Amino acid sequence: MTEPRIIQNFVGYRAIIITDARAAVSQLESTLSKLGLSISHPDIESGCVQLREDVFTGDQAVLFIDSDMNVAIDTPSHDRMPQVPVIGIVGVEAPSRLKSLMRLGATATLRKPVHGGSVYSALFVGVNEFRYRRVLTVQLEEQERRRRGRRYLMKAIVTVMKSTGCDEDAAYDRLRRESMRQRQSVEDYCESFMRSLPGAHEPDSKVQGMTCAEKSK
Amino acid sequence: MAAKRYRIGVLFSNSGPYGVVSGSMRNGALLAFDEISRNGAYGFELEPVAADPAGDPARYSQLSAALLGEGIRHVVGCYTSSSRKDVIPLFEKYDTLLWYPSHYEGFESSTNVVYTGAAPNQHIIPLIEYLAGHMGKRAYCVGSNYIWSWENNRILREGLSAAGGSIIAERYFAVGETDHSQVIQAILETRPDFVFNTLIGTSAYHFFRDFRAACMARGIDQVREIPIASCSLSEPELDEIGPGAMDGHISSSVYFSTIASETNRRFVEAYGRLFPSGPSVSADAEASYVAVRLLAASIASAGSDDVDAVRQVLAQQRIEAPQGPVWIDGQTSHAYLTPRIGRSNMSGGFDVVLAARQPVKPDPYLVQATPRYAAHPRRPKLKLVQ
Repeated sequence: MTEPRIIQNFVGYRAIIITDARAAVSQLESTLSKLGLSISHPDIESGCVQLREDVFTGDQAVLFIDSDMNVAIDTPSHDRMPQVPVIGIVGVEAPSRLKSLMRLGATATLRKPVHGGSVYSALFVGVNEFRYRRVLTVQLEEQERRRRGRRYLMKAIVTVMKSTGCDEDAAYDRLRRESMRQRQSVEDYCESFMRSLPGAHEPDSKVQGMTCAEKSK
Repeated sequence: MAAKRYRIGVLFSNSGPYGVVSGSMRNGALLAFDEISRNGAYGFELEPVAADPAGDPARYSQLSAALLGEGIRHVVGCYTSSSRKDVIPLFEKYDTLLWYPSHYEGFESSTNVVYTGAAPNQHIIPLIEYLAGHMGKRAYCVGSNYIWSWENNRILREGLSAAGGSIIAERYFAVGETDHSQVIQAILETRPDFVFNTLIGTSAYHFFRDFRAACMARGIDQVREIPIASCSLSEPELDEIGPGAMDGHISSSVYFSTIASETNRRFVEAYGRLFPSGPSVSADAEASYVAVRLLAASIASAGSDDVDAVRQVLAQQRIEAPQGPVWIDGQTSHAYLTPRIGRSNMSGGFDVVLAARQPVKPDPYLVQATPRYAAHPRRPKLKLVQ
């Protein structure tokens, strides 16, 4: 996956502002309107903000959260990773407040009272940093999945070496070429290859791991 | 009973690297003050209180603080964006208004600034459309090393990329640098469809002269083969370039002194009468004139120079300016202006080759005029392998 393209024009985005200090964010609202964003203020009930599912549809929402409120954000996701960009509105610069913003996934902050001249910068950095982190997360998951599949690659190389008498480099080249022909990663191809062999069974990762560890001692 | 008198700051450099244009801006403002003082209908007098930073960046803040410290609530001034950025915190601290009368790169809308110069959608966007349609799509960018050049080149790159064109190179020089021999050589070797110039002041004047001379030495018809396009070139600068190289340059502007209207004819005549030794009238001089006229109209409407009162009535003022109707957009505090494309001539003026049919709404953040995504710095290089 390639690096995400930088977003510079936010027209059509939806800004959801969570604050009880509307006067302190009047410049935020005014500047967001100039930038072409629509603005909404979700209700806060008993210290909790319930964000509707539709807030997260369309990939064009950004949350502005006032860290002084100490509200809980209840989103449809329980993931550590937020589904939308979060920009913190900072009043009290106490570590506990800043930590709460980090836990919510804030990728940029605005000092209260919000100054109009800093809004575009925070929006630009916040949204693009969120997109970059999201891509990194997906890449990390993909790399982890492929790492788990490396054991099939090892097995497939040994199998090809035994069946053809070639060395390990030639076996790898052969598997790699075939995986490209089938438009698969070499790990995915080797997994299919090993499963297709007569008598193939699902390898037990724990047993496999232990065996390798014991061998390496 | 004596007429009410309001003191208005006038903050322009009369010398330094961009003193020529800045001087014409001061003159444009002073012409408006002169007209208002002669017009009894206003019922008040505006007293200009002039301050001259002489092109020294540090002096802008010092002089602004002095003006605002005296109780002045409105200041017309600044040419470069860096000077404007330096003084804005002071205007916010005193909650006063800076009337900023220069075309600029946008991405700002302070509630303590009224912008009467062109926003980027009123100068660079029309220029890109004209260049892509009439000159070609391969550009070579030469500019002074600061925000005006960086941002205009970014917008040009995006516009040309969308039209299938390209930027051959971007080269930047320190403000005031006058040796451009290497970049001129590179331009002549790469032969772009046009040069996009964002050099300012003395740097620009030298570049125009040296590039024309280099082309002539090689038998190249510079105007026809490698034209230079700018969105900052104005009449006083043509005078500085001189008769050997002043003609044939493309400029995007909301005002040229050659606009054929009775209002403009009177404006140019009055300017020439009041300032016979120059500098010539320019787009930024007209924007300064417009700023003072709008300020006077707002004070007349509000009945006071109180900043909140002026803000409330500002968007209701509409004046017949030398360029045509002008009024302020209440949301962004920028002006509705009429974009034009001009080609410089040997008389030190511009022939208007294209004009918008009506004033264009300002879009300082280019919300309506640029793509969602920033352009990639480089196109992927792909070749056919089979």
